[in-house]
Amino acid sequence: MRDRIKILTRARGLENAIIVFILLFLFNLIFPQHDSLLLFIGNEILVFITVFFSFNYVYGFLNSKVDSPLSLVLNAGILAALIFFIISTVKALLATQNNGNGIGLFNSLFSVLLSSVFIGATVYIFSTFRELSFLRQKKDPSTYFNTMLAFFALSFLSNLFLKFDPTFDYPKDSFYDVTTVLIFLNSLRVSWIAFLTKRQKYYLLIISVVLSVLFALDYSIVIENSIMRKMLIAFSPGLHTFISLVMIYGIISFGVIFFTTLFHLPTAEAFDRKADEVSSMMDLTKLITQVFDFKELAETITTITTRVCNADSAWLITKKDNNIELGSVHNIGFVDADRVTNQLFGSGENNYDTIEIVQYDTVNPIIKNNEQTFKSIAIAPLKVHGIVNGYLFAARQRDNNFDPDEKKAVQAFADYAAVALENAKLIEESIEKERLEKEFDVARDIQRKILPSTIPTSDQLHISALFVPAFEVGGDYYDFFELEDDRLGFVVADVSGKGISAAFIMAEVKGIFESLSKIIFNPRELLINVNNILKVSLDKKNFVTAIYGVINKKTGVLNFARAGHTPIHVCSSEKIKRLQPAGIGLGLDYTAGFAASIKEMEIQLKNNDIIICYSDGIPEAKNKLEEDFGYDRLDSLLVKNYSENLDRISNNIMKELAVFSESHSQHDDITLVIFKWNQKK
Amino acid sequence: MADFNVNLRGVGSVSVIDVKGYLDAHTAPELENIFNKLLDERQFRVVVNFNELKYISSAGLGVFMAYVETMRENSGDIKFSNMKENVYNIFDLLGFPILYEFFKEEKEALQKFDSQG
Repeated sequence: MRDRIKILTRARGLENAIIVFILLFLFNLIFPQHDSLLLFIGNEILVFITVFFSFNYVYGFLNSKVDSPLSLVLNAGILAALIFFIISTVKALLATQNNGNGIGLFNSLFSVLLSSVFIGATVYIFSTFRELSFLRQKKDPSTYFNTMLAFFALSFLSNLFLKFDPTFDYPKDSFYDVTTVLIFLNSLRVSWIAFLTKRQKYYLLIISVVLSVLFALDYSIVIENSIMRKMLIAFSPGLHTFISLVMIYGIISFGVIFFTTLFHLPTAEAFDRKADEVSSMMDLTKLITQVFDFKELAETITTITTRVCNADSAWLITKKDNNIELGSVHNIGFVDADRVTNQLFGSGENNYDTIEIVQYDTVNPIIKNNEQTFKSIAIAPLKVHGIVNGYLFAARQRDNNFDPDEKKAVQAFADYAAVALENAKLIEESIEKERLEKEFDVARDIQRKILPSTIPTSDQLHISALFVPAFEVGGDYYDFFELEDDRLGFVVADVSGKGISAAFIMAEVKGIFESLSKIIFNPRELLINVNNILKVSLDKKNFVTAIYGVINKKTGVLNFARAGHTPIHVCSSEKIKRLQPAGIGLGLDYTAGFAASIKEMEIQLKNNDIIICYSDGIPEAKNKLEEDFGYDRLDSLLVKNYSENLDRISNNIMKELAVFSESHSQHDDITLVIFKWNQKK
Repeated sequence: MADFNVNLRGVGSVSVIDVKGYLDAHTAPELENIFNKLLDERQFRVVVNFNELKYISSAGLGVFMAYVETMRENSGDIKFSNMKENVYNIFDLLGFPILYEFFKEEKEALQKFDSQG
């Protein structure tokens, strides 16, 4: 039921208000005179309902303007001025005419229209006061206000008593007085004034004094024994009471506003600054989460610092490994800022771990070509996790020192800058990490494509090849080449360096070996030629180690040469030999010295001989004591697994290697190529 | 990340670089910085003391290759001394002893420079 009433009165506020206005209008057209009691009461009630519904509609509508108290005040002022204008005009016009006794159709129409305007205007003003007293209240003020509303209604309706007996006026008077007191109490709710800016306060001060006077004028015209009063009372005494009460409300309310504003003025500036500080901090917080470019943030921070802390200039420096770099400057040149900073740090006595104010008495830092000097400078460290990453400076040319609040503000901005700096650093690192990971992916992909996908194993020559990439591509490469006369060429190589650069060199090396293997069958000569070609493309600091060999599948003869690579191990029955012919790495020497160093080796393979070639990832694998896996462990593993098939051998070696280096991550590629020679029967 | 330390000192007209810890692709730039500094100062006679070096990777070896030519063109050299066996084996496998001079003691390397004048 309650809700339905609410819906009826609120949701259809405009319709209701319009309907009662029309009703009132028609009623007064039909009964221009309400001398009879019934008509009088009917009219009073109708006026009351009109006022009530209009109020209901208007304050709902005003609710949307709550955030701009000044425009509310201004609107009320305009309406007060309108009322003043109307009543002055009407007074002037009618004063020359009759005494208001001639009730013609025109007069009646005129008075209804005028009253309607009055109802509209006063209700609007009244609603404005309601909004103002509800503004920025922590506790719900509606009890006070509703009590006042009730007394407004009582004052309104108590006029009915006067109709019965004109001497029975004390209920009306007492209601009137109580309402006035309540008006005063409600007018004291003006905490919104504190939140206005200094400018707005000055503005409000002037408006409120003007409006207070305006309402007083309105009130005096309405209450004095003039034609206006007569006309309103003739129309509805209740309305007259209501209007005069609203005028009193205006006088009191704006009087209170005036004095309150006056008292708030001295603190207005401080309040403004605090508010500015708070909103700047909020802006900064938002910026920090949105902007990752530190330079941009630094600009904002110096600008805000200058403004909020009443400084003339501000600048920010970052410190990295004791190198100082100017981040941004505001209202000071880079050169000046640099010089002043150096002066401050020059003596080296103070590292400004906490915020400090430097006051200059005699020797002031000079800026802008000797035109200006600084009188005091605040230096706040940019501290994160106790480490100073830079400093924020705020400098003044005037004599007054930074007060504690301003000091705190400078430090607060420095803290923001510190967080932003840290953020920027972290983001940079994570981008770099991501980039490296991408690079690893690419390098691994290249490597995967370079390594042979099939292994040319045959009855005489069983081959097994195992490759385990390191997280960071290490540059291992192996390949097999089917040559004419039933020969097989093979290469196992390791490019120095890691990652994408190693992968590219690897690709190049593959191309060189692939093409040269078709023309040059002598391993030593082939390596010498590879070295000559690499001379053009390899960086000074890069080199490639390689073993190149050719196995004659008809005869079981193995020819090979080594360029700085790990040796070949040959295992016959249980005897093992490490073959390491002389030869320096490819790319170490491009002179004739290279060719001179390379020695070729030839061996005759016997039935069931096992030959292994590998990369240094195996012997250089480390255990937790930092010992190398070495060659001997590899040899004994080979001997132990001699009779196993090739895949089993390589698996066992890898397993043993994993056990050995359990606590160490694999930091280099591992390649293991195993051949087994089966003599043709 | 493995730690690596590099220290530069002058002994007479020769610069001695003490390397310590793990010299790999990540730490090699530190050593490169030292060599760049030497080039800036036109110090071409260098002894690298490996006494406290535990491990060297191919990227570490590359650093010496990158600078030795310039040193030799300016009648200087890079000589190695005090190398542990496992570190020496890496150099040896690659054939460095053919191209560089290795000494047991730093003193011998310095004497070699002196005798060259």
